[in-house]
Amino acid sequence: MRAQHIGRRRRGRWLWAAAAAGLATPLAVAATPAAATQPEEVTLRFAWWGGEGRHAYTQEIIDLYEADNPHVSIEPEFIDWSDYWNRLATTVAGGDTPDVMQMDLRYIAEYANRGVLADLGPHLGAEIDDSSFDTPLLASGQIGGTQYALPTGVNALAVVADPMAFEQAGVEMPDDTSWTWDDFVEIGAQITEGTGGDVWGAQDKGYNESNLEIFLRQRGEVLFTEDGELGFAPESMAEWWQVTLDQLESEAIPPASQTVEVENAGIDQSLLATNTGAMGFWWSNQLGALADASGRDLELLRFPGGSEGMYLKASMLWSMSADTEHPEAAAEFISFLLSDERAGELMLVDRGVPLDVDIRESIADALDPANAKAAEFVEIVGAEAEPPPGVPPQGAGEVQQILWRLNEQVLFEQMSIEDAVAAFIDEATAAIGG
Amino acid sequence: MAVSQLTLQPADGTKVATVRRRDRLRRRENAAAYAFLTPWFVGLVFITIGPIGASLYLSFTDYPLLDAPEWIGLENYRRMASDLRFRHSLEVTFKYVGISVPLQLAFALLLAVVLDKGIRGLPLYRAVYYLPSLLGSSVAVAILWRQIFGTEGLVNQLLGAIGVDATTGWVSHPDYALWTLILLNVWTFGSPMIIFLAGLRQIPRELYEAAEVDGAGPLRRFWRVTLPLLTPIIFFNLVLQVIGAFQSFTQSFIVSNGSGGPADSTLFYSLYLYQQGFGRFDMGYAAALAWVLLMIVATITAIQFLAARKWVFYGDR
Amino acid sequence: MATASRVDAFGPLVGAGKPRPKLRLLTHVCLIAFGFAMLYPLLWMVASSFKPTEIVFRSPGLWPTQFTIGNFAAGWNALTSTFGRYFFNSAVIAAGSIVGNLLSCSLAAYAFARLEFRLKRLWFAIMLGTIMLPIHVQIVPQYIMFSKLDLINTYWPLILPKLLATDAFFVFLMVQFIRGLPRELDDAARIDGCGHWSVFWRIIIPLSKPALATTAIFTFIWTWNDFLSQLIFLTDPKKYTVPVALRSFVDATARTPWGPLFAMSITSLAPVFGFFLAGQRYLVRGIATTGLK
Repeated sequence: MRAQHIGRRRRGRWLWAAAAAGLATPLAVAATPAAATQPEEVTLRFAWWGGEGRHAYTQEIIDLYEADNPHVSIEPEFIDWSDYWNRLATTVAGGDTPDVMQMDLRYIAEYANRGVLADLGPHLGAEIDDSSFDTPLLASGQIGGTQYALPTGVNALAVVADPMAFEQAGVEMPDDTSWTWDDFVEIGAQITEGTGGDVWGAQDKGYNESNLEIFLRQRGEVLFTEDGELGFAPESMAEWWQVTLDQLESEAIPPASQTVEVENAGIDQSLLATNTGAMGFWWSNQLGALADASGRDLELLRFPGGSEGMYLKASMLWSMSADTEHPEAAAEFISFLLSDERAGELMLVDRGVPLDVDIRESIADALDPANAKAAEFVEIVGAEAEPPPGVPPQGAGEVQQILWRLNEQVLFEQMSIEDAVAAFIDEATAAIGG
Repeated sequence: MAVSQLTLQPADGTKVATVRRRDRLRRRENAAAYAFLTPWFVGLVFITIGPIGASLYLSFTDYPLLDAPEWIGLENYRRMASDLRFRHSLEVTFKYVGISVPLQLAFALLLAVVLDKGIRGLPLYRAVYYLPSLLGSSVAVAILWRQIFGTEGLVNQLLGAIGVDATTGWVSHPDYALWTLILLNVWTFGSPMIIFLAGLRQIPRELYEAAEVDGAGPLRRFWRVTLPLLTPIIFFNLVLQVIGAFQSFTQSFIVSNGSGGPADSTLFYSLYLYQQGFGRFDMGYAAALAWVLLMIVATITAIQFLAARKWVFYGDR
Repeated sequence: MATASRVDAFGPLVGAGKPRPKLRLLTHVCLIAFGFAMLYPLLWMVASSFKPTEIVFRSPGLWPTQFTIGNFAAGWNALTSTFGRYFFNSAVIAAGSIVGNLLSCSLAAYAFARLEFRLKRLWFAIMLGTIMLPIHVQIVPQYIMFSKLDLINTYWPLILPKLLATDAFFVFLMVQFIRGLPRELDDAARIDGCGHWSVFWRIIIPLSKPALATTAIFTFIWTWNDFLSQLIFLTDPKKYTVPVALRSFVDATARTPWGPLFAMSITSLAPVFGFFLAGQRYLVRGIATTGLK
């Protein structure tokens, strides 16, 4: 009996000690890294989104860099597009911003205006070798003159067309320097008819706000003005959706529920990829994936309605955390990503046609036919297009989702075009106003 | 209370001694209880109540996550009153709960009654029907569900095989998408079924025999004996399933690809909350939404408890 | 006090009169057919994991016209770390959670079931109330707290709550169970001079094996399937768990290899299935116990 009592007390003490140790350890761990930065050992957190292919070659690029710079250790964090922004927001809120992160135009303003992104300006010409950058493109990453991000590369939104599908339908490929939106609808309807419904004319264009942007630019308007407001007339957007309804009616595009499904399934289930569609709107750097999936030689065409509306978009950008402990090291790594030949050879045009003109040349031969076509197309558009729109205002990410949802309601005819346009203007204004 | 009453029987001061001893034991029991509950208390404060309290505070602020919270009073709640998507998500969620829970419980009860009849191989059947319930909340099954209800998915192929020409994408059509999720919930009836099975087993055989003697057929016996005695269990299952269904998230997230679509037809309340908090980074509003959810669930549960007095028969326990 | 009989309540039951043989056969046929229909999606997924991706969506049949086991290897190696890594991570979290729940929930349950103390009813009501709380609201303040403690991207945010009895469901389960244990054993031990800890450790715990088993199994299943919190708290891909890894398989801007995806889905569901088979008895008893009060 006495022994039991003693045993219990001893056990009790042991429990308390264990608990105390358990609580102390994380606190101890938290305390040490704040020590003075050793010039030798640097750890950089590096975040990006993408699919497995991108993860794989990016990891190789990291390995190369670490081999060259043994004192630098890079911690990769990667996930798919939709989760990336959720994750980034929470990690930033928790004070854990990655040192180097992949950025998208829609979100730069959000983060830059809150002081999350560092000004890369001072690093240009220093740790970042910008001697062979395609300079006009730098504007894509600037807000009010401050360089918050550097474009990894550019691509252009294009009509991807499947010549074999056209042939199957007995329809001629359009002359993409002069075709109109009406032509586009017409041709789509002809293809569906000509193939007896086996192949649809086109995939619905409504899920990408860049598509809307180009449509508006063709009319001399813009989606977002410099001051961060909506810059178009409701009639223009109504026309844009009218094209969709025309296509729906003439069966140039599939019925609404099929569109939803195809969109949700991603690029490898797209109409082009499954040889069930003749045209679709895609970014030029997606040509490779489409060609592979479809097993065919696909072509890039200019937008109907005039190529002056088109523009070169920074496909994604590199940013640096404003709170990073190692700005120089981070900048050097960014420079590596942008201008190192070996990195360029691994990346090719997956992140767009590279910002660094020298890299563009050095990889030109390594590109497979599809990517070579894409790169060429980018050069063409670069020559013909007007300067790209500026960085979208804060809340642009949400505007994209508003458009998705309203587009679906229009497709299912749950909302009239007028109502949808009004709703879009209301909700988008609220989104970017806050 | 298991206080051992060691009554020694000497003279006067004994009563006082016993009382004091009892008090001491009570205090020690108090202390022991609180000692045992220490981990739970710590968890309650830091993991559960603390964050909930923090989010109550946040619901009165504008907290865009990347900036510090800013007090705005009732603004978030006012906004909710005119927020169409909020109202829509409530509709969707209520519809989901109102249809899938009764259906699910009906199947659970039906199968439990059938299996309770002394079927051979009961454990096997029980396992088979329980398995979906086990796996139903996983990401893998949600992905599978989205696939099989697609235009080219399993369901349409099966329908095609029996001659029905099915080309609708169930999951991508606003009129049907919610039903696929309802079906998913009903599919997981195994868990309440097991509870019903256990409950059925508790019903004394004598009552059935007495009813039979009185000439009651199987249906009558079910209605007059089984059902009333099962009401506590039905009630229990009802409460739990309703609470769970209101908080449904993963299935709608995966099946709609995070959008609540098509056209917001699968916008569960939890998903809308998630979109506001992690899509728009509007944590203040999300916190307000969460509190409203809490109020709704609490109210409905309270109503259920009140209504229970009318129809739940506790017998003479 | 229907304690002893309750523990034996799962004996074979003879219903009120055995149905006629024909009816019984019909019942069996219906049950089997229905069961087959219920399991069909899962069976189809298993079958599809053995078909090459291209033909997965061509036929609804279960028998693979082309048979391959390549999907498993492909899926295993499809992401940057092998799935083995993700399984390991999930296992670590599951193990930690199980240990945590077993310890902390039983401690709390003993207090609620066996001890009298001030405000007991209040605390009990609060504990029950926490079952209803939606996790979405807790997660952001939790994230901020853990981040200030520098515990993000560790397993602590996922395991620590389990060490603190935050899964009130299991506390409730064990309370119900312990209440069903006869107090005579407790009392005998107390008379012998045992303190509460001894009673707890030496008497209640050994007798509570069914409830503990149920807790362990359910904890395993819930943490293995948990998605949202694992997504938020683990940022390093090497620390990803199985649900998060599966989700990243389905990236809308790249391609989704369905064969390997299904293969890995099946593999990820296998442990759950395994635990279920091994612990079915406990699962059933556990669910039933909570239902019957």
